[in-house]
Amino acid sequence: MEHYDLLVIGGGAAGIAAATAACGAGCASVAIVDRKPTLGGVLLQCTHRGFGNNLTGIEYARQLLKDLPPEVTLIFNTTVLSVEDTRVAHLSGGRRLSFSQLILATGCREIPMGALPIAGTRPKGVYTAGQMQEMMNLHGFVPEGPAVILGSGDLGLILANQLAQVGIPATLVEKQAHCGGLTRNRKCLGDSHVRLICGQTVTEVSGQKKLEACHLSGGDWIVCKTLLLAVGLRPERTLVSHLGNPIWLHLCGNCNTVHPMVEGVLSEAIQAGQTAWETMREHG
Amino acid sequence: MEAYDVAVIGGGILGCFAARNVRRWNLSVALLEAAEDVCTGITRANSAVVYAGYDNKPGSRKAEMTVRGNGNYESLCRELEVPFCRCGSLLVTYDGASLPKLQKKLSEGLKNGVPGLRLLTGAEAQAMEPMLRPGVAGALYAPSTGTVNPWLLGIAAFENAVENGATAYRNTAVTDIEKTDTGYLLKTNRGPIPCRTVINCAGLFADRVQELLFPRSTRLHWDGAEYLVLDKAAPKPRMVLFHQASSCGKGITAVPCVEGNLLISGVRKEIETPFATTPEGLRELHRAAKALLPELDLNQVIRSFAAVRPNPYREGGQSLHDFCIENPGPGFYSLIGIKTPGLTCAEELGRYVAQEAAAFLKAQPNPDFNPHRHAIPKSDDSKIVCQCQGITRSEILEAIRRGASTVDGIKRRLGSGMGPCQGSRCAFAIETILEGYRNGTL
Repeated sequence: MEHYDLLVIGGGAAGIAAATAACGAGCASVAIVDRKPTLGGVLLQCTHRGFGNNLTGIEYARQLLKDLPPEVTLIFNTTVLSVEDTRVAHLSGGRRLSFSQLILATGCREIPMGALPIAGTRPKGVYTAGQMQEMMNLHGFVPEGPAVILGSGDLGLILANQLAQVGIPATLVEKQAHCGGLTRNRKCLGDSHVRLICGQTVTEVSGQKKLEACHLSGGDWIVCKTLLLAVGLRPERTLVSHLGNPIWLHLCGNCNTVHPMVEGVLSEAIQAGQTAWETMREHG
Repeated sequence: MEAYDVAVIGGGILGCFAARNVRRWNLSVALLEAAEDVCTGITRANSAVVYAGYDNKPGSRKAEMTVRGNGNYESLCRELEVPFCRCGSLLVTYDGASLPKLQKKLSEGLKNGVPGLRLLTGAEAQAMEPMLRPGVAGALYAPSTGTVNPWLLGIAAFENAVENGATAYRNTAVTDIEKTDTGYLLKTNRGPIPCRTVINCAGLFADRVQELLFPRSTRLHWDGAEYLVLDKAAPKPRMVLFHQASSCGKGITAVPCVEGNLLISGVRKEIETPFATTPEGLRELHRAAKALLPELDLNQVIRSFAAVRPNPYREGGQSLHDFCIENPGPGFYSLIGIKTPGLTCAEELGRYVAQEAAAFLKAQPNPDFNPHRHAIPKSDDSKIVCQCQGITRSEILEAIRRGASTVDGIKRRLGSGMGPCQGSRCAFAIETILEGYRNGTL
C-alpha cells in the first residue's frame, strides 16, 4: 500500500501551511488530498481584500503556495471517504493510503436552510452565503434581486458589499442588537443598496416554486427573490469523529475552531505541521 | 396515433406500479405525468413506512392488501434493487387508559394475519428501545413493519415499466377526457392520446381528473403533514415508533430510514398554504419529538418540510376508510385518495387495477415480462460531486441517462444533496453537469 509519513486532508490555507511547516521541519514524505482540482480551498472564491497585507483570497493563496515544497505529493479531485484507526485512509476511486501522522485541515461547512427553524415552503432561491460566493466569484452567476441576507457577520457583510457593487439591493437581517463582523467589512452599510435590520430573524419564507418573500420575527414580510444564509459555520470533522484523540491525529484551521482571520488559521496550521513531525520522530 | 390499450394518468408511485403491472399482460401502456419527472408529488413526501396491517378493519380490502403487500416487500425490493429494512415498530402509549385501544388493534391485527404481533409492557418496550421517554404504559410490537425509500421505489417501478415497453409521457397534463366508440380520448397540453382503458392515479387531483368526464362522486380533502429529517450521525431509535395523539401533544411517527436518517412526522388536519410548514407546526413537532425521545439531538435536524395528503370523502362529508377504487365507466378505473398505507400496497394496487383492465380487455399474460430492474451501480470514479453522500460524477451521468432532468431528479435517484450540507456544496456542480449533458458539451 502507498505510504506517507504525513497525510494532510484538505488543501486550503491550513493544509498548505501545515504541509509546508512539516516539510520545513524535516518531514520528507507528505501528501495533500483535496476534492478540488487545485489547492487553495475557500480562498479561491474570496475576491475581497481581506487577507494578509490587503490581498484577495486568490492572491493570498498564490503567496502561500510559493513556500510549498515541490516534493509534496498532491492528490486532486479526490475525497477521503474514511479513516481507519489502523492509520489507513480510504480515498474515492478505490485508492488506499497508509500514513504515520494525519493532519485534518478540512475547514468548516455552513449551516443550511433545513437546519434552521424557518417555516414555510421550500422554494428555489435560498442559498448559503459561501455557496453564493462560490457561484458568483468562480462561476459568474448573478443572483436575482432583491436579496435578504440572514446574519450580519463577516460573510454576510462581504456578500452585501458584493451585491451592492452589482446594484442588487440587499437587506441584512441580524438577530443580535448590533451588526456583527469586522469593522473593515462594515463599510457596505453606507451603501444606499444595503439596509440593516437588527434584533430580528427570518421565521418563514413563501413562494411555491421560487422565493417570493421572507417573514421577519418583527411581523413584516420582505419581498425578495434571493435569501442568503450567513448564520454560522460548523467545523467539518465527521471523518475523524469516531477516532477519539489518537496521538497521530492533528486538527488545524477551521475544522478545529472557526477563525475570523486567516492569520489564526496559519499559526495553528504551522504548529500542527511541526507537532506532527515531532510526534513522527518520537513515536513513528 | 394508434390507441394504447391502457393509459395511466399520473406518474406517482401508484401510477408507476400500475404501468409496471399492466405490462404483465399483453397490453400496450402509456404513462402520463404532468410534471417533468415521476414521483414528484405525494410520493416525494411520505413517511417511508411499510405498515404491518393492524390498523385496518378485518375483511377490508386495505387490511388484506396491506398484510400481503408487506409480506412481499423483500422479494419486491430484491426484484427492483431498492433497499428495504424490516426494522419492526412500536405503537407506544404513556396513558394507561389507552391500553384497550392497543388491545383492539392487537386483536384486529391478528385477525388480519399480521405476523408476530404482540403487546409489550412499558418495561419491555423500553428495553427494546432505550431512547423512549420513561413511563411507557404499554406498546404494540409489530416485527413485520419496515421502511423503504418511497420515491426510489416508485422510480424503480417506472424504470422497470419502461424497460418492459411502457411509453412515458412527461410534462403531459390531461386537460379533458372524451368517451369514444373504442374507449377514451385523453386531451393533453401535448396533443390527444387515444386509449381503450384508463387507470386514473392522479393523486391529489384524481377526483378532478375523473370529473372531467363523470359526475362528482368522491372528493379529496388535502390534509397536511410536517417532517423533520435528522443527520445520519444523530442517535436514533432502531424501530419505527408511533406515538398516538393524546393529551400531552400531537401524534408523531419516528422512522429510522434505510439511508440512516431519522424522519419525524406529524399530521396536521387544517392547512393554510399547501406544502408549507408553519412556525407553530414546527415548534409543536419539535416538542412532540422531545416528549417521545428526550435524548434526541434536534440540533441535528438538517431539513424540515411539509407535504399534502389526499383524504377521500363521499359527497355529503362521510370520510372513506377503505381504499377507494372506482369504476365510473367501462374500462375506466380511478384510485382516489389512496393515502396510508398506499406505499405498502403500491404493487398490490397496481396488480389489482392492471388485472381489472386486463379482464375488461380480455388480455393474455405477457410471457416476456421481466420483473427485474438494476439499481444505478456505485462507481469507482474518484471524482465525488456530492461530498456528504459520496455521489460520483459517473453515477450522476447514469441518473441523467435514466431520465433525471433536474437537480432534484438526480437527488431522488441518488440521494445527492441529502446530507448535512443539504446540497449547498453540490447543487451548482450538478446543475453544471446537467447543462453540459443537455448541450452535448460533456
